[in-house]
Amino acid sequence: MFLLLITGLNQKIQLKIWILDIRMKLNTIQNILEEDKAKVRAILRNLGVNVPDAILGRVIDFFTIEPVDVEPTDIIKRMDHLLRTTETSVRGIIEGALPSIGRYERSLIESSLSIISALNIVYKVIRHYLITGERENNFILIMQLEYLMPQIMRIVQTYHEALESFTQGRPVGDGAGPLVVYNILEKSEVKSRKVIDDTSIIEAHYKGRRLILVKAEGPGSNVGHPGAVISKIIDELKGGVDLVITIDAALKLEGEETGSIAEGVGAAIGDPGPEKIAIERATSKYSIPLRAMIIKMDLKEAITTMRKEIYEACERTLSYIDKILEENTPPNATVIIAGIGNTMGIPG
Amino acid sequence: MFTMEIDITNIILIIAFIIIVIYLIYDSYARKPRKRVQVVRELLVCTSCKFTVEKDFEPGDFIGMIKGKCPSCGSNLKVKAIYAVEKK
Ligand SMILES: [Zn+2]
Repeated sequence: MFLLLITGLNQKIQLKIWILDIRMKLNTIQNILEEDKAKVRAILRNLGVNVPDAILGRVIDFFTIEPVDVEPTDIIKRMDHLLRTTETSVRGIIEGALPSIGRYERSLIESSLSIISALNIVYKVIRHYLITGERENNFILIMQLEYLMPQIMRIVQTYHEALESFTQGRPVGDGAGPLVVYNILEKSEVKSRKVIDDTSIIEAHYKGRRLILVKAEGPGSNVGHPGAVISKIIDELKGGVDLVITIDAALKLEGEETGSIAEGVGAAIGDPGPEKIAIERATSKYSIPLRAMIIKMDLKEAITTMRKEIYEACERTLSYIDKILEENTPPNATVIIAGIGNTMGIPG
Repeated sequence: MFTMEIDITNIILIIAFIIIVIYLIYDSYARKPRKRVQVVRELLVCTSCKFTVEKDFEPGDFIGMIKGKCPSCGSNLKVKAIYAVEKK
């Protein structure tokens, strides 16, 4: 025992055990990745692609380089440009291989491919650190990896389950915002509808107020561009809006209950920046109050099939919104209500 | 290397050691999350009366879709919600 301690052999043995354990988990990740790839390949083949690997390979390794941030002037504009270019490029690749594909199917394939791409990155990064740690006998690196593995495995499992929801077009937890807007839509008198930028804008009459409802265009897998659209509407109305409410799913803290609701102030939207800042700029320019509602859930619940608790929370959010409308706006007021999130399985 | 004397402190130490080992094994078992099986259901609501029914989800269905007729009044049934519930 004493001998082991002074020669450091016990550490070497520990290192080997950890490496073995990480390698086993890495193999599990690889199996999941291959299984998911096979699933998407089968779907692509069913849609008439002869060589699905050509699309798969191109989209999986697709990357977007972040804009320069040491010089922040117009960074939002640059970031927005890059994000939109990514969107249209990936869409272009899929449409190039499947020219006759419908919007709905295309959106599901896009999302499925991005899930596989995320799994692929996790797999490659873990493999990288495992190989580096093993080659350099880096005890600390391997130890960190070993203790991070349970969390990483949980994320991998989450993505794996999410793929099933996305290939079948079921609503996911993140669709809570669009679902609330859809429910308001069902109860109100619709005046007009149009679609700009993958985003639906619906003018409706509800409880004596003029509502402008904004949500991603459904029922495909789509998040739209709610920020850009809201800012456009406000500009078109020259600031003639009394209140803006954004509704979004939010990550809960461990221990909080799934489906609990909270209200607050600000733009409830989790994009990298461009959409959120567009809402903030437009509302602050005309000093329009900006209210937010969030429905809490964890990452897994957000990207897998919507849980019943979240559906029930959406119903409760509706009465909350009624209260906010009554307290903060006079009759005949114009209110923008935006449901933020992925609208898969939710039309409108 | 050393001789073990069987005295009261040794016995106490051994018993404490065994208790700790048993506790750790128990703890790791208890913490293992039970595999939760979920089923996806959909809620169908009649467009004219108050009839509602919960069915299993079929791929391709979406909220707002008209699906079948109401057994009590013959109007259209509409998918009101699609959600996952834990299987009992
Ligand atoms: Zn009926």
